[in-house]
Amino acid sequence: MSIKLELQNVTYYYGKGTAFEVKALDNVSFAVKERSITGLIGHTGSGKSTLAQLFNGLEKPTEGKVLLDGADIWDKKYKGGRLCFRVGLVMQYPEYQLFEETVFNDIAFGPRNKGMSEDEVKQLVMDAVSFVGMTPEILEQSPFDLSGGQKRRVAIAGIMAMQPEVLVLDEPAAGLDPAGRADIFAGIKRYRDTTGASVIIISHSMEDMAEYCDDVIVMHKGKVMLTGPKDSVFADSDKLVAAGLDIPQITRVMRLLKENGLDVDASVCTKDQAVAELIRAFKLK
Amino acid sequence: MKNIALGQYYPARSPLHRMDPRIKLIIAVLYIVAAFLCKNLLGFALLAASVVLLVILSRVPLKTVLGSLKMVVFILVLTVAINIFLTKEEGAEPLWSFWIFEVYTKGLYSALFIALRILSMIIGTCMLLTYTTTPIALTDALERLLSPLRHLKLPVHEFSMMMSIALRFIPTIMEEAEKIMAAQKARGAGFTEGNLIKRIKSLIPILIPLFASVFRRAFELATAMTCRCYRGGDGRTRMTTMRMHAMDIIVLIVSVAALAGIVSCNYWNIGYTL
Ligand SMILES: Nc1ncnc2c1ncn2[C@@H]1O[C@H](COP(=O)(O)OP(=O)(O)O)[C@@H](O)[C@H]1O
Ligand SMILES: [Mg+2]
Repeated sequence: MSIKLELQNVTYYYGKGTAFEVKALDNVSFAVKERSITGLIGHTGSGKSTLAQLFNGLEKPTEGKVLLDGADIWDKKYKGGRLCFRVGLVMQYPEYQLFEETVFNDIAFGPRNKGMSEDEVKQLVMDAVSFVGMTPEILEQSPFDLSGGQKRRVAIAGIMAMQPEVLVLDEPAAGLDPAGRADIFAGIKRYRDTTGASVIIISHSMEDMAEYCDDVIVMHKGKVMLTGPKDSVFADSDKLVAAGLDIPQITRVMRLLKENGLDVDASVCTKDQAVAELIRAFKLK
Repeated sequence: MKNIALGQYYPARSPLHRMDPRIKLIIAVLYIVAAFLCKNLLGFALLAASVVLLVILSRVPLKTVLGSLKMVVFILVLTVAINIFLTKEEGAEPLWSFWIFEVYTKGLYSALFIALRILSMIIGTCMLLTYTTTPIALTDALERLLSPLRHLKLPVHEFSMMMSIALRFIPTIMEEAEKIMAAQKARGAGFTEGNLIKRIKSLIPILIPLFASVFRRAFELATAMTCRCYRGGDGRTRMTTMRMHAMDIIVLIVSVAALAGIVSCNYWNIGYTL
């Protein structure tokens, strides 16, 4: 699979040259594949949100390059069009950015800024609403009357309606109940499967990452600690534990089983894999 | 952006940072009085010397200090120009004249004095207050200095609580505004294009979420304060007490002496007197 988005030796400072200077990212390099769902994990303050704002050009790296389809987005000769429509960013707690009178108008804000005709806008809004698993009745309501989880889904639909080739979501499930979380992730998966976009999900929940991602990038204190397919990252669970990060519960159980003498692969991280692995191990016995 | 919101407080460890904010507030007032009472060169020399002393004592880098003057350069240039060109001296020969403008010695001096007055006042109060005292410490100090007015049934505590809350939330709301702006930019909103009406309209996607969030925060804060049994100023004690140290008293005495010195300079008639 080809590479969609790439960071090369990116360093980023907040308030460079002032008394409040913070080095948020330190020589970060990684690549995100086409059509993949990539998880970006790390403690609070490890630089995840900063990365998100670099992806769609809201912030400029102090040093290093951000490449989209192999082209440097900060190059003077860059001709890729407006970046925010190609790399859609759902910021943390996006429900607080809703402002229109109706859900329809709010979701349509992005596509209208993109310069779509009203017919196209209508189609895009309908698609976006179905991605996040809502019914068209909601479109006439005021976004301020919805529940927290519904608002969140409307906000995410607002970005999906721009049909970005890369969808970045900063903690899309933070503060939601398990059913709400599942709804959101199902919607994200639906978007990827239908449009073929690459998706980057930021989270500090290992469970969600293990369940929904293909690749995982682990950030620690502004640096990339681990990166690769999720199995290989969770196989390095010692390193994760040493850095004080969680590992998925399933992986923890499998590690304990292995420590206690059962010959299983301790890198599995989903329920289905674990069941298959256990059946295999017991058949061998 | 955030640095402006924080009143440009410059975190450092210096004798000025350590001083009691109440004393700093009093000295700042004395300072402004001194700047206005100054009438001749010797007085201004003393005033300038005290500015330099304050800058050194505060340990704020000179670059930062000069940076804060950017905003007043325009006012400074304007007042100096007005003083030079529009001051008329009866019965004296103009030094230079052109069209309707006439420049007199008195005009030059009053321009110089005004410039020194503005500069020393701004640098002095910045050093004493904004750079070395957090806004919260400042309102706290104000409340304590004004607390005798309580007996006149003035709501001193409530007023300063409102001030502290407002100050406390300026950075929070600025941060929030930045976040909302970033979020709307990510949806393709532009804030700098088009004519005036278009630009005002483009603020709607920021202002509505911002107001919604300000009200939400206000209600949450009110609930949180009620839950902790806040019911106004009567009988409240403080977590931090302000202590005056011997140093504070000494500095206060020196400042009063300096003020007296500057005022008495006016009677000596050294150099040019306005
Ligand atoms: N606007 C900002 N100004 C200054 N420092 C910031 C700002 N935003 C984040 N930081 C700092 O950058 C670092 C990384 O923050 P962030 O990217 O938000 O981490 P995460 O999203 O992983 O919690 C933290 O140390 C944080 O304090
Ligand atoms: Mg974050």
